[in-house]
Amino acid sequence: MTVQTVDSPSAPTVPTESALPGRAGLLRRLARDKVAFAASVVLSATVLAAIFAPWVAPYDPYYTDLAKAMQPPSAEHWFGTDNTGRDILSRVIFGARNTLLLGLIGVILGGVLGGALGILAAFYRRLDGWIMRLVDIMLAFPAILIGLAVAAIFGAGLTAVIVALVVATIPDVARVARGAAVGVMGQEFMEAGRAVGVSDTTLIWRYLTLNCISTIFVFLTLRFGQIILIGSALGFLGMGAQPPTAELGMMAAQGRDFLFMAPHIATIPSLAIFIIVLAANLLGDALRDVLDPRLQQ
Amino acid sequence: MGRQILHRLLISIPALVGVLFLCFCLLQVVPADPAMIIAGPEAKAETIAAIRLELGLDRPIPLQFIDYIGRVLQGDLGRSIISNKMVSEELTHTIGPTVELMLGAMVMAVPCGLALGTLAAVKRGSVVDRIIMAFSVAGVSMPVFFIGLILIQYVGFKWALLPFTGRTGPIWDGGLPSLILPALTLGSVLIGPIARLTRTAVLEVLGADFVRTARAKGLRETVVIVHHALRNALIPVVTLIGLQAAFLLGGAVVTETMFAWPGVGRLAVGAIVSSDFPTAQGAIMILAVAFLMINLIVDVLYVYLDPRVQRG
Repeated sequence: MTVQTVDSPSAPTVPTESALPGRAGLLRRLARDKVAFAASVVLSATVLAAIFAPWVAPYDPYYTDLAKAMQPPSAEHWFGTDNTGRDILSRVIFGARNTLLLGLIGVILGGVLGGALGILAAFYRRLDGWIMRLVDIMLAFPAILIGLAVAAIFGAGLTAVIVALVVATIPDVARVARGAAVGVMGQEFMEAGRAVGVSDTTLIWRYLTLNCISTIFVFLTLRFGQIILIGSALGFLGMGAQPPTAELGMMAAQGRDFLFMAPHIATIPSLAIFIIVLAANLLGDALRDVLDPRLQQ
Repeated sequence: MGRQILHRLLISIPALVGVLFLCFCLLQVVPADPAMIIAGPEAKAETIAAIRLELGLDRPIPLQFIDYIGRVLQGDLGRSIISNKMVSEELTHTIGPTVELMLGAMVMAVPCGLALGTLAAVKRGSVVDRIIMAFSVAGVSMPVFFIGLILIQYVGFKWALLPFTGRTGPIWDGGLPSLILPALTLGSVLIGPIARLTRTAVLEVLGADFVRTARAKGLRETVVIVHHALRNALIPVVTLIGLQAAFLLGGAVVTETMFAWPGVGRLAVGAIVSSDFPTAQGAIMILAVAFLMINLIVDVLYVYLDPRVQRG
């Protein structure tokens, strides 16, 4: 009989569970926060524009027209044109697509790997010391340096940026996940699960991971903005996307050469990064306040 | 305290070996054979073989790694493929400017961040608080190069107030003007996080019993805030500044590239672009070691600032 009660869906009850509002409640609470609402509108608009870039962009982002080079913003080209006459609005939309995609891949891969490391460290005490030491060593390499090192070995390109972003995400996520998992490990239902002979795999998946996921998720949304900043900095340094691919950081770097003649070529992509990261940060803060106030420092 | 520091030193050794190993890998995994690059495109097989022998490239990898550590400890990081100068020599020329830039950024950012954060905490909930917090969120979200681009365009170019390319010399030798814009650019990304954390920490401390006691004693409010509140609030802030060192080093690479600042970061980027692997490896290693050292210093400072850590 006891087996059933432990295995029943009510098993994963951690203190946070009661504090977690339902999905509708969460959305309503976020909508009440005006800043968070504005941030989510901006971010959704950007994400939608990025997803549907080929339909949204007014021009071909790669079509060059030297007769129209370096035009300031106008009715025809809202954000002006760059040094080869390409439409900057279209390039920003396609650039945002690549920049967001890089950030997402970095955060998701890094989140999965880091989360797994943290949870395993909490579950298997024997591994704890080793895993956390590995994490410390990873922390010893600032993300930009990883990007530079990978670019040095395999050549500049998207791989270098993705590896850097993943490595930049792993250690922090591992620490947060380990912290959350250690808390869950102390819960009675873990002991109960073990006592009735639930396998390690089930314990890790259904008992531990599911209870840590909201903390990890909130942390990842908080990191997303920083990850995008690192990615665009690598793009700016020329270690990421190669021309003519549109990527916001790289576009800013290219515009730098024409800063004094046509400042908008460099400033508009930079401004786009700023707005995306700002919206992501504001939304992450609001999500944290609603979902997981414990993460607040 | 001495034991604490020693312990911390011992812990950083594996990280150091890790760093060295990664840099060594960087030399191993490179697609091009260093011997062939040094020998040139039209070299004979014997010449290449001789160079391989001379460089110890024919030995097993673990032995090569030990050799490598030995050479690094002696300060021998190889020769640049491009300029044929010793990498260690290039590094000694570039470390100074990078340290100068980072210190400059800190000197600008730390007092600003502390002051703004404390002000926001003291004026909690007011317009001042909101403006400061809005600015700090904006600062955290700003790409380093955006601030740099704006400063170069306006302060450097349009208003022609300060130089924005290169470094004219050390600070004591008329180099200050050329340092201001890069340091401001790099420092600006630090102000936001410091202000934000200082505000939280000061708010927390302001509610503590000892602050009430200090006020009850009749101490002036400035004394209470600076001596009692801020000093205790500094502990998390110092940790943050240390953690931000990673960010700062990364930002330094971008800033140096933008302002043609002759530092290690620019050396690394230039070396990677021109496939100069020995130089890239040396520069990356120095940056990583610098990062380890900053973290070490922060931990030691932490023990000093919070004597409770010692007992714990």
